[in-house]
Amino acid sequence: MIKDRIQYPARLIVDTFGIATRCGVLLILYYYIFSTRGGVINGLTFQITAWSMFLYFAFMTLRLRDLATSIMQDIKSGTVEVLLSKPINYLSYRMWWQLGAGLYPFFVAVVLGTIALVVAVGIPASMSSWFFVGTLSIVFILGIILSLLVYAVVGLLAFWIEDIKPLYWIVDKAVMILGGSYLPVALFPKVMYQIAIWSPFGASQFVTHTVYDTWRTGYAEMIGIQVFWIVILGIIVSYMFGRAHKKVSVNGG
Amino acid sequence: MKKEINFAIYAIKKNIQSSAELRTSFWMNVFGMMINNISFVILWVFLIQTVGSIGGWSEADIFGLQGFVALVFGIVYSIGSGLREMPQLISGGRFDQFLISPKNLLTRIATSSFGASAVGDVFFGIICIVIYLFMISATLSQIGMTFLLIIIALITFTGVTIAIQSINFFFTDPEAVTRSVFELFFTPSLFHGGAFQGTTRFVFTFLVPSLLIGTLPVEAITQTSFPKMLLLLVLSIFWFMLSLWFFKKAVRKYESANFMTFGS
Repeated sequence: MIKDRIQYPARLIVDTFGIATRCGVLLILYYYIFSTRGGVINGLTFQITAWSMFLYFAFMTLRLRDLATSIMQDIKSGTVEVLLSKPINYLSYRMWWQLGAGLYPFFVAVVLGTIALVVAVGIPASMSSWFFVGTLSIVFILGIILSLLVYAVVGLLAFWIEDIKPLYWIVDKAVMILGGSYLPVALFPKVMYQIAIWSPFGASQFVTHTVYDTWRTGYAEMIGIQVFWIVILGIIVSYMFGRAHKKVSVNGG
Repeated sequence: MKKEINFAIYAIKKNIQSSAELRTSFWMNVFGMMINNISFVILWVFLIQTVGSIGGWSEADIFGLQGFVALVFGIVYSIGSGLREMPQLISGGRFDQFLISPKNLLTRIATSSFGASAVGDVFFGIICIVIYLFMISATLSQIGMTFLLIIIALITFTGVTIAIQSINFFFTDPEAVTRSVFELFFTPSLFHGGAFQGTTRFVFTFLVPSLLIGTLPVEAITQTSFPKMLLLLVLSIFWFMLSLWFFKKAVRKYESANFMTFGS
């Protein structure tokens, strides 16, 4: 999939341009808001906000959410029957495929975005340590696994529900809000902040928390929450997949 | 002209009947989209609660903004959902069947499909606008302005959508390009309108017309500003005429896909 993506540079340029403009416009607006409030809101600076939002948008370029629609399309088109009859695990295959499709755009977005942000706003103190690099890597990998599991649950529901799109929209928007996309989690009201921390939707985007000053004291708890949801959702996905597998009758011929 | 309108109404009616056949799926799409749309209201209301008023905007204006954007998007992409499918029509060579139709080309394309989920946007938009008018204790003239500005915003959105979809004729792999350009136009229209000041306001009003479909109409109503409404009317006519001209030019670029099939 990585090779496949490299073969279409025009599409990559257009996609990167789309994300850059969306993120860029948002940062310009936040720059204005912070400048009218003396540069600090809720103890948060524009520099931290910019990096937090960038991490969210960079993570989104992995397009892990497309896993749900891929599974739905397989089920609707009947391709799932063929894939299930092959000597591979269908879910693993779909997850690796999704990850492969997103890695190259992610790499390009991270390199270009990091250069742009370093030049525009600089690197905050919270990011200039090996502790940040180490914990970011752990939270990033756990975030990928958790995101794949969240969207796998949605996708597998297509075995029972005729059209999962509405459910997908709701889950996707929950990830968007609680992940700190357009509004950094640090600016949430207290109750919403707690929901963002304890729900699997917010937990899948903990990469955005790594730049906050509070990260050093709260990282262990957040990694624990991610692991907890991975175990729970892992059990749910494997149960659902087992039930779904029995539902499908593969016809030979 | 009358014949074209009759045809459009007939096509829309048939499309709605067809979508409503799968009743559960239809209503799930509608309600799903309504819940989906709440996200931006939640985000910007939280921002106002944390930061306070930005650019003079209150919570009511956020409802107005999201209402306007959802309503115009919903109307165009429900009854004119075919516009959204233009990349597939062109790259798949199915555009030929529209070219040989004796009906108006744009009407024929737009009404060729119906977007059930966009009906949810329409309902959501109406609810938000009603809440907005209630929250600002709207006067009769403000209510009247709201109706006029919805029509003006509709003209602008339709025009810009046609212009963006016309880009499809210039690329061999048009889907990603059109999607990106549409996002560049549409996404800022959902952002907190009060945060657009100075250069960003100029850019997203005159170069990328994102603010014309939500932010500026809401400000015109809140401030009961007739000059702002007039500006919106002029810009909407400009964008609509420009898009029709561009579409005509773009269609000439179309080369039939010449697939070795006999249609399907």
